[in-house]
Amino acid sequence: MTVAIVAVVRGFGTHAGGVMTALVTRMRALDWRAQWHEAFAGAGQAWLFVFKGVLAIGLSAWLAMRFDLAKPYEVMVTCAIVLHPNSGMVVAKSFYRVLGTMVGCLAGVLLVAVFVQERTLLLLGMALWVGLCAGGASLFRNFKSYGFVLAGYTAAIVMLPALQQPQLLFQSAVMRFSEVMLGILVATFVCEAIAPQRLGPALRASIRSQFTGFVDFVRGSLAGMLERDALQQAHLRFVSKVVEVENLRSSVVVEDAGVRAISPRVQRLNQRFMAASTSYQSLHHLMNRLQDTDHAEARTALMALFNVQAEALAQVDAEADVLAQARALEQAQADVEAPLRACMTARRAALTEREARLDFDTGAELMLRFAAELKAYAEAYEALVKRGAQQRPMARSERVFARGNDWLEAASIVVRVAVMILITGWFWIATAWPGGAFAMLLSSVFCGLLASKPKPRAAVRAMFKMSVIGVLAGFVCLFGVLAHMSGFVLLLAGLLPFLIVGFYPFSNPKLEPMARIGLLTFFLMMQLDQVMVYDVPAFTNRALGLLLGALVSGVAFQLFANPGDNRFLHQRLLDKLRAEVTRACRAPLAGARERVESASRDLFMQLIGYGTAQDEFLGWGLSVHETGRAIVDLRRDMTTAPAPLYQRLVAVVDAIGDLYATPGRASHVFARRRVASARRAAAGHSQVLQHLHLLRLALLDRESVLAQYMASADKEEQHAA
Amino acid sequence: MLREIAVGGLFFPALLLLFILSLALHTILDGVAARYGWYRHLWYPALFRVSVFVCIFSVLGFLLLHGGWV
Repeated sequence: MTVAIVAVVRGFGTHAGGVMTALVTRMRALDWRAQWHEAFAGAGQAWLFVFKGVLAIGLSAWLAMRFDLAKPYEVMVTCAIVLHPNSGMVVAKSFYRVLGTMVGCLAGVLLVAVFVQERTLLLLGMALWVGLCAGGASLFRNFKSYGFVLAGYTAAIVMLPALQQPQLLFQSAVMRFSEVMLGILVATFVCEAIAPQRLGPALRASIRSQFTGFVDFVRGSLAGMLERDALQQAHLRFVSKVVEVENLRSSVVVEDAGVRAISPRVQRLNQRFMAASTSYQSLHHLMNRLQDTDHAEARTALMALFNVQAEALAQVDAEADVLAQARALEQAQADVEAPLRACMTARRAALTEREARLDFDTGAELMLRFAAELKAYAEAYEALVKRGAQQRPMARSERVFARGNDWLEAASIVVRVAVMILITGWFWIATAWPGGAFAMLLSSVFCGLLASKPKPRAAVRAMFKMSVIGVLAGFVCLFGVLAHMSGFVLLLAGLLPFLIVGFYPFSNPKLEPMARIGLLTFFLMMQLDQVMVYDVPAFTNRALGLLLGALVSGVAFQLFANPGDNRFLHQRLLDKLRAEVTRACRAPLAGARERVESASRDLFMQLIGYGTAQDEFLGWGLSVHETGRAIVDLRRDMTTAPAPLYQRLVAVVDAIGDLYATPGRASHVFARRRVASARRAAAGHSQVLQHLHLLRLALLDRESVLAQYMASADKEEQHAA
Repeated sequence: MLREIAVGGLFFPALLLLFILSLALHTILDGVAARYGWYRHLWYPALFRVSVFVCIFSVLGFLLLHGGWV
């Protein structure tokens, strides 16, 4: 707009003299205001959230005291836990929290009802329940984990007051459920009704950048060869994009019904993106493998195909609006198929050697497949972004995003947490310390919270620090400020500075979990009620109990991490990544392709999250993607093969599965031999031959991770095959 | 219709069931409205949705407490 003003001003020319000066001054003022807006946009959001937070806490406290709930502070604690700047996250969390609270209350009531006379058995039952819930929380990566966390510690909260007086058990359960529900309702209402911050735009931006990033990459790399490093980096980028879109989608889907309606299309888009990027990378891998001089003919022939595709892509204007780009891309890909096929037949006729023809065929098939998948991807993007597009019914398998879960880690968490709760409980029983109940409660709360984080060990120290800060703040607020106040309005006024300091960091994603722990402990320590009790020894007991609980859960997660520390975990994740290929070999064919694409990417992201030894992971990630896809395609095509070939192909699939399950020199040689024998039998079947050729090239690639298992006598194998 | 519903000796307020019912109705209406894009004509969809929910719940509540179902 400033450009327009400048143009207008210039156009007016000299006789706009004084007007011009005035306009220029106004322009500068506009710029200054725009800068001001930009600088404070982030802070404005933060202050809006502080306002919402204070409103939610005030409203929930007022309502809780009005309804005479037993523990009004629990309502405020729930508010503090649930509130989040993005309203979609609040709704998603709330839904699973309600479920978790219901299950937890039921479990608490059941446990006490069954074990009311046996305190050791009750302790055992409680430890087991909290442990199982913590294990469940670590298995799921979305909001379902909150449900498990809640179920775990709600049972503890319901049970502990009832231990001295079992007849209060049911009332305790009902009260707890009411408090949590009230907190959730208030928080959800405040976040949804007052200037809700949506994640929808973030999802749309993510999808857009996925599309533009991929198209730009393809455009840039069709011209020539890509080094292995560049390929790996690109792979990393694409995988993180895929997982980012999927994660955003799963949190946005609860936000509003508009996004829910398009959620299947987003999943389909993601699937197609994965397919297209895998094909493209396989193509470049093939080109890299054909680098040496034996295969120069095939390589130059394939480069001609690349040029055809590059010309088609050149028609897509990079500067245009993204939707227009998608439409143009779809059209270009629809048109490019005929020229590609024509170029294919022309070049193939020029090649003389059998080997060269085979290389060329494989590459050409990959190219055609990539062209088709790129078209499908553009089509899916267009269908997503265009409003009111017809909803084609989608196959279930098109929408799957499988995740890789680690049962062993979950089981170890179950054992650790249960043992820690048992130790705390034994300590409480043995010492009859009044703060012991609180310690058990807090240890179950923190264990649950830590279990749901992807990297618990890193969070332990920060959590402990924040709980100390929360305790100190609670002390200052309770005895320094609130002791002099009476009445609800003054209560809120006294809390206000602490709430502002507590809620402000929520807008920063890094600081948010810490601020949440701080607020949580703050409210837990103060125990605000209609009739306040200011008792310093009781407060100190509670504080010590809280810190002991935090310490115990920290020990459970930091000291008793998996045996052999992170190296063991890395190895396990690598094994699971490789197991995706084995699963592609052995599992039923329906949906196998989508499974192998999505699960391997999810595992890959987990591996990258650990940070170390990236090259090895990148190498295995690429290898798994490529081979997994090739195996699934081979299995699909071999159903039409005649009997003797079919037997050999089954043998090939088994051998590849064994190779990835237990990589070693023997299994590598075995796999190569099987592939060679199948190739000999597959003389007439071009599709099968191409897949076998791809597999063989992948096995013989000296730069891939499988190279370490190659025996030195590979030269004679190459000639014999 | 009763004000309280007894389930195995426990009393649940009938309003609670109505609340859940109106939540369900609201979710359905919300889905339909989002599918056909009615929210685009509104200035502040969030407040509108909350108000619609309050309206549904109030209507059902009045029908229960003062209506002809008794």
